Amino acid sequence: MEIPYYDKERPDTGLYNGKAGIWLFLASEVMLFGALFSAYVLLRVGAEPGTWSMGLMNQWVGAFNTLILIASSATIVMAWVCLKLNDWKGFRKWKWATVVFAFIFLIVKWSYEWPAKFTHYDVTFVTNESAAKVYTDVLGPEFLKTQPTIWQKRFDPLKKDEKNAPASQVKLKDKPLDGHIVGYIDSEGAKHEVGAAWGIPFWSHAFAWRHDRKNIEKERDKSIRYGEDGRPVYKEGHFRDTFRDKDIKAIIFVPAHGTWDHKEKHADSGTVKYAEANHDGGHAHSDGHGYTVTIAREDISRLSSYEPAHSTFFATYYTLTGLHALHVLGGILVMLYHLLPVSRRVYEKNPVQYTNRIEITGLFWHFVDLVWIFLFPILYLL
Amino acid sequence: MSNDHSPEYYKKKFIPLIYLVGSILIVGTIITFAADKMGIAEKWGFINATIFAMSVAVVKASAVMYIFMHLKWDIKLKTISLTLGCTVIFFIGMMWLTVGSEIDSNKPGHEENTWNHVGQPEPETVPTER
Amino acid sequence: METTTQPEAEHGGHHDDHNHGHAEQSFFTKYIFSTDHKVIGIQYGVGSLFFLLVGFILIMGMRWQMAKPNTPVPVLGPILEKVYAHEIALDGEGKTVPIFKDGKITASGYNQFGAMHGTIMVFLAIVPLGFAAFGNYIVPLQIGAPDMCFPRVNMASFWAFFAGCTVMTVSFFIPGGAAQAGWTSYSPLASVIPTDGQTYWLVGMVLLITSSLLGAVNFIATIIQLRAPGMTWFRMPFFVWAQFVTAFLLLLAFPPLEAAGVMQLMDRVCDTSFFLPSGVFASGTEPMNVSGGGSPLLWQHLFWFLGHPEVYVLILPAIGMVTEIISNNTRRPIWGYTLMVGGILVLGFLSFIVWAHHMYLTGMSSKIATFFQTTTMIISIPSVILLTCLFMSLWRGAIRFNTPSMFALAFLPMFGIGGLTGLPLGFNFTDLHLHDSYYVIAHFHYVVAPGTIFALFAGIYYWFPKMTGRRMSEHWGKVHFWGSLIFMNVIFMPMFIQGFAGMSRRMSDGGATYSMINNPDVTSGALTDSVINMNSMITMGAFGMGLVQVVFIVNFFWSIRNGEKINDDNPWKATTLEWQTPTPPPHGNFLTEPKVYRGPYEYSNPDIDNGEDFIAQNDPYKSASEEQKEAEA
Ligand code: HEM
Ligand SMILES: [Cu+2]
Repeated sequence: MEIPYYDKERPDTGLYNGKAGIWLFLASEVMLFGALFSAYVLLRVGAEPGTWSMGLMNQWVGAFNTLILIASSATIVMAWVCLKLNDWKGFRKWKWATVVFAFIFLIVKWSYEWPAKFTHYDVTFVTNESAAKVYTDVLGPEFLKTQPTIWQKRFDPLKKDEKNAPASQVKLKDKPLDGHIVGYIDSEGAKHEVGAAWGIPFWSHAFAWRHDRKNIEKERDKSIRYGEDGRPVYKEGHFRDTFRDKDIKAIIFVPAHGTWDHKEKHADSGTVKYAEANHDGGHAHSDGHGYTVTIAREDISRLSSYEPAHSTFFATYYTLTGLHALHVLGGILVMLYHLLPVSRRVYEKNPVQYTNRIEITGLFWHFVDLVWIFLFPILYLL
Repeated sequence: MSNDHSPEYYKKKFIPLIYLVGSILIVGTIITFAADKMGIAEKWGFINATIFAMSVAVVKASAVMYIFMHLKWDIKLKTISLTLGCTVIFFIGMMWLTVGSEIDSNKPGHEENTWNHVGQPEPETVPTER
Repeated sequence: METTTQPEAEHGGHHDDHNHGHAEQSFFTKYIFSTDHKVIGIQYGVGSLFFLLVGFILIMGMRWQMAKPNTPVPVLGPILEKVYAHEIALDGEGKTVPIFKDGKITASGYNQFGAMHGTIMVFLAIVPLGFAAFGNYIVPLQIGAPDMCFPRVNMASFWAFFAGCTVMTVSFFIPGGAAQAGWTSYSPLASVIPTDGQTYWLVGMVLLITSSLLGAVNFIATIIQLRAPGMTWFRMPFFVWAQFVTAFLLLLAFPPLEAAGVMQLMDRVCDTSFFLPSGVFASGTEPMNVSGGGSPLLWQHLFWFLGHPEVYVLILPAIGMVTEIISNNTRRPIWGYTLMVGGILVLGFLSFIVWAHHMYLTGMSSKIATFFQTTTMIISIPSVILLTCLFMSLWRGAIRFNTPSMFALAFLPMFGIGGLTGLPLGFNFTDLHLHDSYYVIAHFHYVVAPGTIFALFAGIYYWFPKMTGRRMSEHWGKVHFWGSLIFMNVIFMPMFIQGFAGMSRRMSDGGATYSMINNPDVTSGALTDSVINMNSMITMGAFGMGLVQVVFIVNFFWSIRNGEKINDDNPWKATTLEWQTPTPPPHGNFLTEPKVYRGPYEYSNPDIDNGEDFIAQNDPYKSASEEQKEAEA
């Protein structure tokens, strides 16, 4: 039995089956990503002042990946055109180029961009005093004047008016210090270095640690209960806490470049170097991390890497880009299938059908590119 | 695109179009990126910067849809145009109505606040203070 | 009789020779991993009928608990205590108790049953039965196609459904049991609920949604691409139109729920706070340690953006089936076929912009409420058009009162009651009182239970001969019909009264806590004895309903082997194409590609003088006047 119009176009609709199917599928994909976009807008518009994290993206990586995806989008049309011109060699060349670009996109994301986020931390403080103490350590006593520009960037510029709390109105203790955790001090005063995550030296900082002071209170008021295996019985929303699992008195922290303005950094070396000087240089970490600062456990209100749980922004970021990455992965699998010898046989038997398949894959791939065209500005730039 | 274009058509017309769209995409990306690096958000205000970035994105997206996705040739097919039309309408409906009702709802501090928020903590103490 | 176009005579009534020009299939590819739309349709049908029963058993347990709070459930109780023995923590105290203790249903157990009853009935029973099972079996036949457009995608769709069902079923047996946050899974509750049931629920839903999306793409593509020659849009039977619109609803409304499901999954697994506002408390004196900044209303918006179109997904295939059956059994063309097609298209379109009428109580501003109230009122117009057309079709018909037609006829007033009682819910000001009360339960059950389910029964009785070559017993069919009709109304009619009296839904003691008896000091507002006592009556109705369904189940299985054989491929003397095939249709459906000459409802047309009161769509017969016209041209 043969399904009609699986390769030829139906005269009255002008479509072969696959094309009708893929456009319908893409329509539903529009609604899928559309819902996430609406969620993004709604959550951002409704965010309380100062809670929408901004300026934390590596924009260069984002731009690089955008260009990669654009290139792959162009190569896949070229592959299709080659088929139309009966140029099998050219087709394979362009198709492989597409696959390679797609792989580069994913590799950049999965082995560089995301892991870098998971080793990058935000610390907020229990009181303004404890915050001031740490910031003095990092930036010197004048730290309010040399105020990290990241603060301005981070607090949504949409809300600049008085009523909606501009950056200057967020309390000092809630203004996060960002950087990497390179070690910790236990209750006996011994220093521990934090090794590389999964043995990959590239991520040689603490990976996805998390602490929230509320957990301590919760333990005190017994709203967290433990089962026999020592794990909380009640999931009780989100009870993963590195400070509970490890004996940590204080963390050794390297403030990141994002903490201060680059210009200022170079013009006035005092701002950056301060932490180092404060610790006599000798205090500084031996493996050449440079300007470390020690933050006591009691001073920390919340410690979180840039993981999904960090903030609504990162939650949206990972969900959107994660879903997008899954689409890229799916596209790669389909394209690899089209490069297998099996597909060659399809081509020989029915070139029209094979060309149609490539066209459909192309339509899907362009859609993936299209989503990224919107993701890049809204997640990385705005 | 229908199957009846001649090889000449692809060589002479279509491949140049691909290069054109590719350039539009690259230039668009660079423009947005450069604009952000030059700090248009501070200079023009956030809303205008958003409108700018989204307009460039829409131009890029239209180019992709029009040439790469063959809509230049296929949009005349009713199946595709009607499906896309419906999708766009429902997408806008979903976006506009959900976000609209979020903006317009009776939240603490909102003008139209008709609800008595008895038992709600003071707004300042809610978000970040501990 | 033998239709004139099909070469029936050569092939006889039945065809053992299923393979016309293709290789012999193994048992495995033929019945398990089949790509044949008819086999997949039957797979869907069996699966969804099974889950219909499961959903019903769950509700029987709950009804017992409502009628006799805290007494052991007979039969089910002891079984549950053994099978369903996991413990669940009670908040605060730190003690754990079994979900089913001494054969009684605890509040947690009640919540689980309730949540899963809704989920199973909507997503695992009615949608797969009405849309996937009947759609798969009937639609390609009715449009004269050899199969669905993408047979392998069709199979993938079924197996995704199967995986989803498995996850849902397994979730009952994991520690802590199944989801407890209602079929609507409102956050924050659903995000913070301690047991893993909700996580399973979300995974299951993502699979089910994927299945529906694949199915929807396939249906639309099939209807657009594979219509037989001559099958123009306005020669399509109304059932195909209904499936077409339904598929579009699924295609465009389901993805937002998938997105929402992924977000809620992130909330539960990755500790994000999409739906958790800042400072939300789950227990204890400290707020939860989440980043906050989420919006619980976002979930409701995304859920109901699916949710409202979803109710049309439940009802439209039913209306389509009823249309077919009514036209066939009144032996009259459908009154206002084009009007109905227009109506259903408008209905499908509007159903995307009414969703927030489920959210009037969330503190939305009057502007937004007015918008949704207006669209809701507008959408009731096409619903009324559909129903009116069906009533008009009865006028002066020579109605054959067989089982399918009786179920189809009963559908009309039952759906009417359901629809009309929706209007007070659509008005903001009345809904504020009625929302989340038993009135809502009664409203939508009138639409889905005596409505959709009756239509599905009608469809089963009607198409059973096509699938098996045998009829179901008419006598027991009528017993089933009258029993169902009576008990359905015994069950749901009193719920309107309970709702007006202010009884809330989702209370595990049937409202006893708020009754007069338990609150002697309260002078007004508490539930009176008569309202509470209706619970027992409803429960008795439910058990009666269960008994009547036994008749159906026995009849169904008995008839597969022993039913009265039909000696004709077209036992109901119907016009549409599915009856012009061998019985059951072979792989590839039609012996020769059908060609369509006329509309779907040519019954009792005085112009056509072929010795019958109907003429099949693929019958090339020309009436005298037509021949004359052609000669002139
Ligand atoms: C004239 C047509 C209809 C109108 C005006 C209408 C209106 C409404 C409204 C306003 C509600 C929300 C009530 C509340 O929660 O306070 C509701 C609930 C519901 N309706 Fe309808 N409806 C109509 C037809 C239908 C149809 C055809 C179905 C199909 C099955 C249906 C199924 C439901 C369901 C399942 C709910 C309950 C949702 C929940 O769990 O909260 N309705 N209806
Ligand atoms: Cu609704």
